[in-house]
Amino acid sequence: MASRREFSPQTLSVLASLCEQPSEWQHGYALARHTGLKSGTLYPILIRLADRRLVEACWQEEPIPGRPRRHMYRLTPDGRAAATAAVAEAEAEAATARVRRGATPRRGGGVAAPGVP
Amino acid sequence: MNRLSRAAAAAGWVAVLLVPSARRDWAEAVWAEAFEVPAGWQRLAWQAGGVRMIAKEAQMVRRTGILLLFAAAAGAAVWGAWPGSRVSHGAAVQGGIIVTVLLLAGLPLLARLVLGPPDSRPARWLRAGFYAAILAVMPAEGAIGLFVGMVPRGGIDRHTFDVIQGPGVPGSSSGGPDWAGQIGILIFTACYLAIILALTARRAPVAPATLAISAGAGLALGAVMYAVAPLGLNFKYPDRPWPPGSAVDTFVALAWVLVFGAPLVSGVIGGLRCHVPDDLGQASVARAWQGLAAGLVSGGVGALFVTVSGSGTTALLVKSAWVRDVLYHGQHLTASAVYGRELYASQDVTAYFALLIGFPLIGTVMGLTGAGIANAIRQQPQRAPEKVTV
Repeated sequence: MASRREFSPQTLSVLASLCEQPSEWQHGYALARHTGLKSGTLYPILIRLADRRLVEACWQEEPIPGRPRRHMYRLTPDGRAAATAAVAEAEAEAATARVRRGATPRRGGGVAAPGVP
Repeated sequence: MNRLSRAAAAAGWVAVLLVPSARRDWAEAVWAEAFEVPAGWQRLAWQAGGVRMIAKEAQMVRRTGILLLFAAAAGAAVWGAWPGSRVSHGAAVQGGIIVTVLLLAGLPLLARLVLGPPDSRPARWLRAGFYAAILAVMPAEGAIGLFVGMVPRGGIDRHTFDVIQGPGVPGSSSGGPDWAGQIGILIFTACYLAIILALTARRAPVAPATLAISAGAGLALGAVMYAVAPLGLNFKYPDRPWPPGSAVDTFVALAWVLVFGAPLVSGVIGGLRCHVPDDLGQASVARAWQGLAAGLVSGGVGALFVTVSGSGTTALLVKSAWVRDVLYHGQHLTASAVYGRELYASQDVTAYFALLIGFPLIGTVMGLTGAGIANAIRQQPQRAPEKVTV
């Protein structure tokens, strides 16, 4: 089972976005708008996910005349399981953090050191 | 703007060719998708992201280059270190060389699976430096081992050899296969490699700044230590090139300061500079990790630097006359005295292993102390701004 720690926050947002309509093919631009990621961040993430067979990709069969074919993406069954687990874990962690922070207000905007629990 | 965007699109389709064929679909996908993005800055930004992705994916070529570079460096190191048939302990050394190269090639793959690849420049440089150090030590140790084991045929050199090394058969190599020693060195190398790989992996809780600072401090420590002991670590014998009364005492004092100070300062700076969670307990743990890493890296880099430099200098000393002239410049030494110094230096090189163990241990303690200091500084309640009355 994939753990939330295997994925960066950006990757998690892509997985969460794909997870919303798991059986539908989605385009890159739609994913970028939904996640707020730039193309230079989004596509490397999709590539890594496809390498791990968590995402499948295909080319549009009937392109709009005058426009190039579009590339489409959706989660594989493995990807769906991994994404569901990781997103749920991330949400649980966020909820725990919110409860912990409840007593003391957050200072500054510090980002945790990589890998620090 | 449209013209700029069209030019970018055209350049992009050409740039797609730079990407390895297995990845070309993806590069084409970014470019095709650009038609869906509203024209203007947004499309240009999308295309800029595509260029970034292409540049990133094209680094696979660079990775292949790194692999080839490693293969070439490892090949050269093995060629330089491989013992000849006249060396009686050759089988053990050959086994050690083969396993070392296999460790260097295999452990990073394992580390990548478990902890992820290195994802910062300091991490990559640290790994590259470590690999270069191990591969450089191999031929140096080979040359030194050959010199130490070779029994002179006669004369005063033979007498010197007998005094230092014990009696041997003239014209032959002394000593049998030292399997236990080789296995010990291999375990030691594997531990060092595993620690370096773990600290520089993506999922390690170590900030890139900590790695950079502690590696720099370690290099300073190594350079000073090399100035103190350039020909092995033994202060009893007169093989060191420093004439009496020279400035080496200053370096000795500086070395003592750096042995303890470099990891301490690295730990403090690493602890202060890293971003930590708001939770005090978690912040302390994060700083402790920075201190631990700072200590291990500064101590390890310092010890490796002096080991590589000292072993290399000693190997050159026994092989090249010009190194002898440089090191013992102005000292009128007889040939037998030079031989004695070479033999002592060759023996003393093994004592560098004491530094390879001692420096990281001292570094760990001092680095954690530094992290504790950083923690105390950060957790001090901040003073409220003074009120100014006019």
